Amino acid sequence: MAPPETPQPTTLRHAFGNVLSVFVLLLIGVFAFSIRLFSVIKYESVIHEFDPYFNYRVTQYLTKSGVYDFWNWFDDRTWYPLGRVIGGTVYPGLTLTAGTLWRILNSLNIPLSVETVCVFTAPIFSAFASWATYLLTKEVKGAGAGLTAAALLAMVPSYISRSVAGSYDNEAVAIFALILTFYLYIKTLNTGSLFYATLNAMAYFYMVCSWGGYTFIINLIPMHVLLCIVTGRYSPRLYIAYAPLVVLGTLLAALVPVVGFNAVMTSEHFASFLVFIIIHVVALVYYIKGILTPQMFKVAVTLVVSVGLIVCGAVLAVLIALVASSPTKGWSGRSLSLLDPTYASKYIPIIASVSEHQPPTWPSYFMDINVLAFLVPAGIIACFLPLSDASSFAVLYIVTSVYFSGVMVRLMLVLAPAACIMSGIALSEAFDVFTRSIKFQLLGSTENLQVNNAGESTNVAQNDVVKTEKNEDSQKERSSRKSKKKEKESTERVPLVSRIEQKLLVLPLETSLIAVFLLVLLGAFYVVHCVWAAAEAYSAPSIVLTSRSHDGLHVFDDFREAYSWLSHNTEVDDKVASWWDYGYQTTAMANRTVIVDNNTWNNTHIATVGTAMSSPEKAAWDIFNSLDVKYVLVVFGGLVGYPSDDINKFLWMVRIGGGVFPHIKEPDYLRDGQYRIDSQATPTMLNCLMYKLSYYRFVETDGKGFDRVRHTEIGKKYFKLTHFEEVFTTHHWMVRIYKLKSPRNRIRGKTKKSKSKASSTTSSKRSGTRKKNPWH
Amino acid sequence: MAISSTPTAAALLLITILFLLTTHGTPLSSDTIVSELSSLRSQSSTGVIHLTDSLLRRILSLPTPRPFHSLIFFDAHQLHSKPELSLPALKSEFSLVSSSFQSNNPNENPQLFFFDIEFQESQASFALFGVNSLPHIRLIPPTASDLKSDSIQMDASDLSRMAESMAEFIESRTKLSVGPINRPPIISKKQIMFIVAVVLIWTPFFVKKLISGNTIFNDKNIWMAGAIFVYFFSVSGAMFNIIRKMPMFMADRQDPSKLVFFYQGSGMQLGAEGFSIGFLYTIVGLLLAFVTHVLVRVKNRTVQRLVMIFVMFVSFWAVKKVVFLDNWKTGYGIHGYWPSSWQ
Repeated sequence: MAPPETPQPTTLRHAFGNVLSVFVLLLIGVFAFSIRLFSVIKYESVIHEFDPYFNYRVTQYLTKSGVYDFWNWFDDRTWYPLGRVIGGTVYPGLTLTAGTLWRILNSLNIPLSVETVCVFTAPIFSAFASWATYLLTKEVKGAGAGLTAAALLAMVPSYISRSVAGSYDNEAVAIFALILTFYLYIKTLNTGSLFYATLNAMAYFYMVCSWGGYTFIINLIPMHVLLCIVTGRYSPRLYIAYAPLVVLGTLLAALVPVVGFNAVMTSEHFASFLVFIIIHVVALVYYIKGILTPQMFKVAVTLVVSVGLIVCGAVLAVLIALVASSPTKGWSGRSLSLLDPTYASKYIPIIASVSEHQPPTWPSYFMDINVLAFLVPAGIIACFLPLSDASSFAVLYIVTSVYFSGVMVRLMLVLAPAACIMSGIALSEAFDVFTRSIKFQLLGSTENLQVNNAGESTNVAQNDVVKTEKNEDSQKERSSRKSKKKEKESTERVPLVSRIEQKLLVLPLETSLIAVFLLVLLGAFYVVHCVWAAAEAYSAPSIVLTSRSHDGLHVFDDFREAYSWLSHNTEVDDKVASWWDYGYQTTAMANRTVIVDNNTWNNTHIATVGTAMSSPEKAAWDIFNSLDVKYVLVVFGGLVGYPSDDINKFLWMVRIGGGVFPHIKEPDYLRDGQYRIDSQATPTMLNCLMYKLSYYRFVETDGKGFDRVRHTEIGKKYFKLTHFEEVFTTHHWMVRIYKLKSPRNRIRGKTKKSKSKASSTTSSKRSGTRKKNPWH
Repeated sequence: MAISSTPTAAALLLITILFLLTTHGTPLSSDTIVSELSSLRSQSSTGVIHLTDSLLRRILSLPTPRPFHSLIFFDAHQLHSKPELSLPALKSEFSLVSSSFQSNNPNENPQLFFFDIEFQESQASFALFGVNSLPHIRLIPPTASDLKSDSIQMDASDLSRMAESMAEFIESRTKLSVGPINRPPIISKKQIMFIVAVVLIWTPFFVKKLISGNTIFNDKNIWMAGAIFVYFFSVSGAMFNIIRKMPMFMADRQDPSKLVFFYQGSGMQLGAEGFSIGFLYTIVGLLLAFVTHVLVRVKNRTVQRLVMIFVMFVSFWAVKKVVFLDNWKTGYGIHGYWPSSWQ
């Protein structure tokens, strides 16, 4: 608790402390921003990976056409021929933020490109997030803990992994929104001010706009409210903090198109409504208790309880019936897999197969929150001594988030702020104790004598009592503005008492010195680890690749080479088919229409592409032709040893294709259960389109056709393509683009052979292909 | 698991077929067999009939098509102790399917009989089916004459999801519907009633206590311990162990007599490994909290000094150990970036 522990609150000292705090915060902001620039320095200022390219493209559209057009945007460049309604299916927070930033900068005559703004949005918001962490932790345990927590959050690796420059994804702004919402909730809880309650609802709205993770907030805050009620901590401040949030927050959330009526219809939100009812009942009870005599109150209680039980029973029965009538009990698969960790592995293979949905092992914690893992327990204990509304919220936050992170490695991101807050509290308390010990024993030996004479032994027990009482007092008083005078009096009384008490609560000098040294060492290790993680582990943009070998650094820029080839050498309306991983990039960088992309909402469509890739050339040509595809793009890593290429993803294409079109069978592509592309491979494998497009002319590179990813010589080396022609292959052969040959040539060849039969054969061919073609 | 497959299986089969041929003449009506099986079935509590060599012979002696399917569970008591086969669990699932079938199809003239056969007493039958590994479940369709080729073995994938998948297998192969599996509830109805009654009676008292504020829920130490435990549980990767069903430790591949507690490679961990690291993660924080909140109140300087030295030693060791193990497990080399003039 800050107020009783600040020694001698003279105005000058206060002012100095405040200026210093602002300066430190500024430095923390700069640090948070600059540690995320490794990706720009080591590579260049590009958007990373896959999803950010989609966000970037949406932002481009937004800045070009304005908000209203963005809202109604039907995108015909993707999911051809279906298209996708963008405005109603994205969380718009990130794009609106970056678009607004760009607009402000332009109106200030700072002509930055949209891409630059997008690249640097995440680092900017991580600086904001560390400031929000300062505010939140300050509300919980005072300014010192706040500064420590902000510094820790500025460089926590788990957050860096999602917010390096260029990783332009929802989480970049969502973590800031999450912390801000929690701060405003705690602020409202501590002050009881409706102003902050309104701000809280706005912050919640921003969070809902930004990320699907908002359900964490709308379940955590009700849990905390319920906890407060159950442990007898109900107060009008709690009511003010909660009720406006539910009412305003739900109304605002329903405004976001992608959430809409889900805000009142799905089970994820039911907890908040249930607690909303409970808090009203409790508030009513407290109110009645206040206006009735104790005897009357007892009568009223028995009356109300009997009536209330009946009503509650009825409502509960209806609710249970409603919830039970839906197959998943109203919960989405992802939420269920959090409640029952074994759920996903049993029933939803798609969720279970994604790598970021795996449960983490202990090294993941050390990688992502590093030494904070050691400090968190101390923070938890510090929050209990003494327990306030704010610190109980912090404890609840860390406990739930650490449990969720244990289920899904992805949610480590939500844990990171909580771990920083807890470690900040722990470190600040520890430094407080150790530096106090050093200070009073080095400097205050003369004063010590005077005060200690007053009574060393008698005061100890008393002071403890005084201290805890003071804490609670000061907290209550802070809430009510009327008693400001009292507070002043108390703060004047506090210093003397607390000084005596603090001088007694010290540790031996030399061990304190060593302890401070060890803590600083721990912090230094944390900094080294975070910088290393930011520089080495989390900065690769995955669109430009580098490899270091004995003869220096190699840069593989094949993806952008291919995309720019597409944009310069193909017609604007040409359709490009590729596996869904490259959909977002193709639309954003080449501006060409794709068949499937990373928003995997239509399984049949993906299965069609998978089937085409797994079929022999002729059948594949038919499928692609029926989809108006002009070009087919494959990613091939065999020449340079790039492991996540299409051949390695091929079994997924077979599986997904076979899931919808049963004539594609996985065993046909496996020799004795093994996936191989060498001479032992099955004929189906060697004749499928993906094999041919990947290895066409591959033997010309080294004469043997040695694949550096699979470490074998390929099975079929010399073959010609009948229905496709190679139009472009990038420098390192990582992207290869083929064009579908036009059908006319083929028919002419036939007509030469047998003119009379020509018409009949073509028509029968057509009907034959119809049958085989799964698209029809 | 190979259990001695007799090399003379073919010979036995021949003998059996000869036997069948000789007994073919005697009028063994199918009705008598069915009624005998029905009575056997009603004797057994789960509806699984214990099959012996002679009974099997009599069943097979019936002219094809026989009026019923037979599903046989091949059992060996000597292998019940092997945990990787999980024969007892499969057997109980098998009898669950059997009893469910019986209760869902209360037919006087059943079309499907469930059998179990014991290896030690019916080795000849095992040889007859050519069964040399367990677990093994086999369906004999009514038309089967040659046991090895005409009967259908249940795939490992059908065994994997216990009773439900066995029922699916039966439904797909015999066109007989097993119906929903009636698992016996973990606690019986009477117990449930009793528990509900107790909870109902206890709730008002509990709420009253809760309001007055003297339950364990109002003791913040309980909450504190709970929070710390959840933290320990999560950072130790226990969720990983539960979801992946990891063992606490495993035997070394090269040297089975040695036990491996730590697995190298960051994608996997063993149970004991996770808990020990989780303990190290937690202990440092707990000691730090102890020093900052409890030790400062101790008046004796020597005690303070000794305890602090102990705490710092343990914390330093724990952090060092975790850093070392992490580097070993993941293979990362974490290093700082110093100015190049320093090197």
